[in-house]
Amino acid sequence: MDLFVQTLVNGLLQSGLYALVASGLALAVGVVGIVNFAHGEYLMIGAFLAWAGSAFLGVDPLLSLPVIAVAVFAIGALTYRVSIRHVLLAPELNQMLLTFGLGILLQNLALMLLGGNTRTVTTPYQASSLQLGDLSVGGPKALAFGLAALLLGALYVVLYRTTLGRQMRAVAQNRRGAQLIGIDVDRVYLIAFGVSCALAAVAGVLVSVLLFASPTVGLVFALKAFAIIVMAGLGNLTGVLWASVLLGVSEALVQTYVPGGGGWSDAVFFLMIFGTLVLRSFRGAR
Amino acid sequence: MKTLLMTGVLLALSGAGAVKVGVLLPLSGAGSVSGQAAKNGYQLALDEINRAGGVLGKPLELEFADDGSAPAKAVPEFVKLVTVEKVDFMAGGVSSATSIAVSGPAKQYGTFMAWIGAAAVPVEDAFADHPYFFHYHPWSYYNFEAILGYFKYLKTYKKAKTIAIAYEDGPFGSAGIDATVDAFRKAGFNVVMTEKFKTGSGNFGPLVSKAKAAKPDILYWVGYDTDALPLATEIKQQNLQLGLLYGTPPSWPVGFEKNSLSDNVAGLSLWLSTSPNKDSRTFVAAYKKKYGTVTDEYFAPLAYVNLKTLAAAINRAGTTDKAKVAAEMAKTNVSTPFGQLTFSPSLKTKYQGFKAGNWLHFQYLGDARVPVFPIKFAQKPMVYGK
Repeated sequence: MDLFVQTLVNGLLQSGLYALVASGLALAVGVVGIVNFAHGEYLMIGAFLAWAGSAFLGVDPLLSLPVIAVAVFAIGALTYRVSIRHVLLAPELNQMLLTFGLGILLQNLALMLLGGNTRTVTTPYQASSLQLGDLSVGGPKALAFGLAALLLGALYVVLYRTTLGRQMRAVAQNRRGAQLIGIDVDRVYLIAFGVSCALAAVAGVLVSVLLFASPTVGLVFALKAFAIIVMAGLGNLTGVLWASVLLGVSEALVQTYVPGGGGWSDAVFFLMIFGTLVLRSFRGAR
Repeated sequence: MKTLLMTGVLLALSGAGAVKVGVLLPLSGAGSVSGQAAKNGYQLALDEINRAGGVLGKPLELEFADDGSAPAKAVPEFVKLVTVEKVDFMAGGVSSATSIAVSGPAKQYGTFMAWIGAAAVPVEDAFADHPYFFHYHPWSYYNFEAILGYFKYLKTYKKAKTIAIAYEDGPFGSAGIDATVDAFRKAGFNVVMTEKFKTGSGNFGPLVSKAKAAKPDILYWVGYDTDALPLATEIKQQNLQLGLLYGTPPSWPVGFEKNSLSDNVAGLSLWLSTSPNKDSRTFVAAYKKKYGTVTDEYFAPLAYVNLKTLAAAINRAGTTDKAKVAAEMAKTNVSTPFGQLTFSPSLKTKYQGFKAGNWLHFQYLGDARVPVFPIKFAQKPMVYGK
């Protein structure tokens, strides 16, 4: 019984990290409709900035988190200005190919400038945990979960309770219509894409504390983030949290109870994407 | 214009006929720490070889290629080195998965391979019939022989009885896992857990929970550097009580020794910079002079020895003819930072360099890797947690 409860806790904690990565992507893909295949690379930038701040300036990654978020927002905004903006009216495939290329470019830039080595961050709270009898709740992952819930809540409030949020939804629903009623569409896209990148960087900071920083660290998380937003349904921010929990807990259950489950855990999210899409199309057909 | 032309002609002439060695390494991806260390070792050896007159009277040339720690990238890079760059010999090779992948083209082109890494037995199978395959790194059964020796010592003197095994699901971790479990059982250990994991996923929560339920004395993990910190973190968070956490990644994360989570983590290395061996001290001094720092990654001296012995064999052969160079390589008998290097048959290949007797077991103690076994090489007593 202890093992089962601990497995659920493990899954829940892992889902916090997934939700954090998926929140930015949910905004970009789900809300404003920019399919950003380079999302994992903005996470990687956040992880490297956290590592650099810790290694060279002695700044704790959590303290540097707001600065990193702002810096990566600026990088995201710049990316939007110089590249994405020009393909917004083109077919979606162009957008996908562009962001896919951007991802490769950023990854290889990191390789050239920083090398392929795995970099780790040292913090006093890295292995902190709350012990509840035989149960253990890891500190940084619990923090990631809390942060994800907070950020998704904040995003929800922004989208449904503020003028900027309404503008974002309006642009997502009908770009031309939004333009006709006087919304600065370009500005809305820029802010949405910048915030999405900043959220990826926030996840990157947590990833650097929990795991490591390396040029390829974002790939696994980005793939899972896509699975989560597909499961949640495009534009469904609250669903992101539940979909993350479902993915995290399913992976943990497979890892614990399926023989050789560690090797199967990556198949879980593919299976979930497959299942969700088949179920949706089945419902649609009815 | 004339001067430019002359310079170009002279440069072209100086390179003409020079011996070219292609070096395929994981400069990015999961094995990049080993790959980068090996690259440094090759460049140091290249400097020394060319200062001493080069190979066959010309400066030796190296062509590096990044296999990205991925078989899909390794094969085209390998083929490019052999067919486009037209290298005379191939060196490098760290990962078992990429080495298996390049075995096909290597046989197709009859490439001379002076290979430093790839310990998994399927690599040995893949190159069993290759006439020009010189393998420097011990095969995994030699590694395991050394590990079993250490664990038997822990069984006798520290009362270690139970082992949990965590292994990555690629060829490096998975090959021979059944034989490993059998060997532990034959040695009188109770193997209480055998679990796969995805390297680089960092998701060790469920695995550690299972280990905690199994209460092992030793947790033996076979993975890569990217797994070291997440695993150590999870063990601490879940308060898993172990006698020893023992890992065999080809390299360890940069700066891991500075993290308190590395305390008492044990591992296996062919070499440590603190080794008192004369050749090792010479290597460390030369490395420090060139790079301003010291490494504990054994792939640096392994690559160094690899290129030096290959260059010496070509010089002795007086030609780049593969058969003649292979004959000279087979006669290699030199002292190295790891001890004496000679080539003798392994279970399946003809030319195997280092074997079981070259391994050291270390623990992270006080921000450094300290040899703790074999006892005659121990610089500090080992810390056993139970």
